[in-house]
Amino acid sequence: MNGRRSFGSSSSGGGGGRGKPAAGAAGKDGQRRPMFRRRKVCKFCADKIDDINYKDTKLLMPFVPERAKILPRRISGTCALHQRKLRTALMRARQLALIPYTAE
Amino acid sequence: MTRKYELVYVVSPEATDEQVADLHNQVEAIAQRLNGQIEKTENWGRRKLAYEIGRHKEGTYVLEVINGGGDLMKEIDRRLKVSDLVIRHLVVRVDEEQGVVERTRARRTETSRRRRVARGLPADRQPGEGQRGEPDDDRDDRFDLGAEDMR
Repeated sequence: MNGRRSFGSSSSGGGGGRGKPAAGAAGKDGQRRPMFRRRKVCKFCADKIDDINYKDTKLLMPFVPERAKILPRRISGTCALHQRKLRTALMRARQLALIPYTAE
Repeated sequence: MTRKYELVYVVSPEATDEQVADLHNQVEAIAQRLNGQIEKTENWGRRKLAYEIGRHKEGTYVLEVINGGGDLMKEIDRRLKVSDLVIRHLVVRVDEEQGVVERTRARRTETSRRRRVARGLPADRQPGEGQRGEPDDDRDDRFDLGAEDMR
């Protein structure tokens, strides 16, 4: 956090806060962040699931966490095509009260 | 123009089995009247609803796969909307989606067979071949936060 702020003030203009804070931070500390992330893979591509069906609650449930919101792609790692299909399936399942809209 | 539709309706839990059967017969009668036929009927039985609908906490789910035209589904949709017993229903057209799924599946098996033959293996997978199922460790990064959030 510190690295990012000092980097932002030293550069003129900046051009939006959400650029690349990592570059500045790494240059200051002299080391890259120690944690690494495993690359996320789309579940449906990996398991070769072609049909994302609204009736298949067992398949859909991992994509609705406690608050019953749809898990975003950035977290689940689902590819764009399958996220789109997943979304329609989830919305249909919601209509039929197979999956909640919200957690009470 | 005949298409394939899936109809799911949720019947109120107070309805008796005869009433559920009667509803199915009504749907079938409409289908027959408008040159459609019911391909499959599935009764999922009584299930808990994910949220309350009206004052109901559970309902009986019935799935029907229907071949027919759009006007038929329109009529069924209208009838179910009017019905007091049905608390929720959904009509989905499935033929196009199914075609896509079948085509991708066929393409996948076809390419895998071709590759296997090219490698000098029998075209179909033998039992006990391939990777063992890995221990399920793909859950830990489901809520993986960005590095900024972790600090």
